[in-house]
Amino acid sequence: MKHVWKLGTIITTLVVLWLALLTSSGLPSTLSAIVPYLPIYAVVALGCYGLAMVGYGLMVFPTCPTEAIQLQQDIAEAKVFLASHGIDVNHSSD
Amino acid sequence: MDLADRTVGFVLLLFSVSLFSYYTFWVIITPFVDSDHFVHGFFPAREYAILIPAFAGVTLLSLIMIFVGVVLLRSGKSKSKTA
Repeated sequence: MKHVWKLGTIITTLVVLWLALLTSSGLPSTLSAIVPYLPIYAVVALGCYGLAMVGYGLMVFPTCPTEAIQLQQDIAEAKVFLASHGIDVNHSSD
Repeated sequence: MDLADRTVGFVLLLFSVSLFSYYTFWVIITPFVDSDHFVHGFFPAREYAILIPAFAGVTLLSLIMIFVGVVLLRSGKSKSKTA
């Protein structure tokens, strides 16, 4: 629950700051051209961040191919061992 | 398979970074550039900086909702069939 309050406080602060910027007069014209775009800019930035994190996670996703081959060998070995003791594991999962 | 996943991840990363840089340049930096500078030719009119993301967001949300609805309908049908 603490995390929710922290997030809410941050978002409220940002919104209040943005509203203050929006209603304040005497800003340079370049800045007043940017200020109305800030909320959608934040949304776009957040979306880009999420997409980049997904892409990066997909890029560096750890795989262990040698262990996978060893596991398959172990499974085959265990099947042979169990079959020699009269246990059929191939058809029991149906 | 593994390489394809990595390629997809790299493309996603590249796409999002380039999109973020382009949008940042468009929204944050172009107001500081003189209005007769050639750089303005690379960017559409400023209204589209709001219109395009808004339309994209609405489209994305609609597709997600349609997907959720289709999944719900299907699961309800299969449940009533088995019951």
